[in-house]
Amino acid sequence: MLLPFSYAVRNLYRDRTRLAQTLGGSALVVFLVMGAHALNEGMRKTLSASGSPRNMLILGKGSEESMQRSEVSEQAAGITEASVSGIYAPLGDRAVSPQIIHMANLGLPDGTRIRGLVRGVTAKALLTHPEVTVMEGHFPGPGEIMAGRLAWKRFGIDEGDLVPGTELRFDSATLTLSGIFAAPGTVLESELWMNLNDLRTLAQRETVSAVVVRLDEGDPADVQLFTRQRLDLELSAVTEQSYYARLATFYAPVRAMTWTTAALIAAAAVFGGLNTLYAAFASRVREIATLQAIGFRRTAILISFIQESLMTSLFGTLLGALAAVLLLADRVIYLSAGAFRLGFGPETLFAGLLAGTLLGLVGSIPPAIRCLKPSLPQALRD
Amino acid sequence: MENDQDILIRCLSVTKQYKKGENLVTPLDTLDLDIPRGDFLAMMGPSGSGKTTLLNLLSGIDQPTSGSIEVDGVAIHALSRRALAAWRARQVGYIFQLYHLVPVLTAFENVELPLLLDDLKRRERREKVEAALSLVGLSDRMHHFPRELSGGQEQRVAIARALVADPPLLVADEPTGDLDRESADAILGLLQTLSREQGKTIVMVTHDPKAAGAASRTLHLEKGQLLEAVS
Repeated sequence: MLLPFSYAVRNLYRDRTRLAQTLGGSALVVFLVMGAHALNEGMRKTLSASGSPRNMLILGKGSEESMQRSEVSEQAAGITEASVSGIYAPLGDRAVSPQIIHMANLGLPDGTRIRGLVRGVTAKALLTHPEVTVMEGHFPGPGEIMAGRLAWKRFGIDEGDLVPGTELRFDSATLTLSGIFAAPGTVLESELWMNLNDLRTLAQRETVSAVVVRLDEGDPADVQLFTRQRLDLELSAVTEQSYYARLATFYAPVRAMTWTTAALIAAAAVFGGLNTLYAAFASRVREIATLQAIGFRRTAILISFIQESLMTSLFGTLLGALAAVLLLADRVIYLSAGAFRLGFGPETLFAGLLAGTLLGLVGSIPPAIRCLKPSLPQALRD
Repeated sequence: MENDQDILIRCLSVTKQYKKGENLVTPLDTLDLDIPRGDFLAMMGPSGSGKTTLLNLLSGIDQPTSGSIEVDGVAIHALSRRALAAWRARQVGYIFQLYHLVPVLTAFENVELPLLLDDLKRRERREKVEAALSLVGLSDRMHHFPRELSGGQEQRVAIARALVADPPLLVADEPTGDLDRESADAILGLLQTLSREQGKTIVMVTHDPKAAGAASRTLHLEKGQLLEAVS
């Protein structure tokens, strides 16, 4: 027979300092677990959404892992367009987009320097990246530049610093911000896009970084075959999806570090919580012995301890989850590959709930066993 | 010589030993004892004489190293821990020197605890708890927490808790040890009433000769042996 539930509930208020410590510990663990999970989910989702399975990236041989390092001959785009079949071609316009990826230093009118990824493109980039929509202003022409809607966050400046009409300094040139674009859930949103020829001149390049090809009926293997046949161009072709998947692998240590940090802080919180529960349960040894003397079994008392601990940890979970949602949801994290919006979803909430439940369950058992261990006569005398 | 049916507790050659560091301690040594039904027995003796050990053995809180203890025909020395817990719930009511009430439960809830081990309806439990609290004169304090009661009132709640499931045996370990004289007298009077009017068998450990005087019989223990029985 179980002890009354009210016993577990009222025990929570016996020592408010202990209650606050346990609640705080549980909330911290849940907050960290949810934060780590959301960061990982955000990175995974953003990187997987950034690569389309229909897009092929033609890169310089040996630079398959970095578009920035890649160099592709200027003629490669035209030759690809002419040689590969099955390219997506709305209204006959074939989706083959030469692009330059360049890390640039830009100056704002107030003198602030910002450093970020600039993509030199032609209008065909909109065919290969249909997820890109110009929200405000227009696609950049010569002397113009367009900003992703999260770029201002990426640069740590005010949103008002990047509005159409703003003039940006790029070396000796002045570029006018022509518009703002969106590319929901992809790393493109933290980039700046500008005219391909302008960037080629400013970056002093004679080559492009990559040629992006969007396939319709075509087989990715055909593009790969093309790059293998044209040995003179020294090309390599990968699907955009696999490129970003590889980028995700590059960030595996970052993800592992997030989990490790969360685990270490959580472990400290668990030990703190265990210590608090040891003290809380140990102060009740004689009371517990009395309940046993009356006839309650150890299992009933153990269940009551677990109820008590679970209530605290679940309430802590609620606080931690609330804090995580309020402080972290929609937060954008910036890494060199781009901006990642923390991915809060049902799985993140589940991870937090699981952590809180495990904390309540596992955290209460060792102190409870220790409290139930002394023999009954000894515990009554205690 | 008592008739066997009149004997509630029978101890035969009961020995209790335990290790304390390197030493083997024998608080009870081959003790024989019969306690008749309805008896109000006081056990006295110096500290370490084995009084509390004997009380724990008689009430199934502890088990002997050797020998046998039968209570109402049940050989409790041979019961498993689980069976012993169930036996205690039905057969024994405990009264401790420091009351041992659960501080987060009200007087009513404390008294109700033993009844939770039975398959009783809420209404039945309420009636029994109210009757027990009324018997100890605390009907007006049933929703008070232990911290809101005096020592004497706490002990009366503990007695109500011991009584509520109607066990034939009540064991009391220094029940007046922490009370002033007036409260102690009230508690002893209550125990006498329970023995006389409800036929409860009461075994009480005490250091206080006045408390022992309230019992119908006093046993003296020294070094784990019974010295004498005084009626």
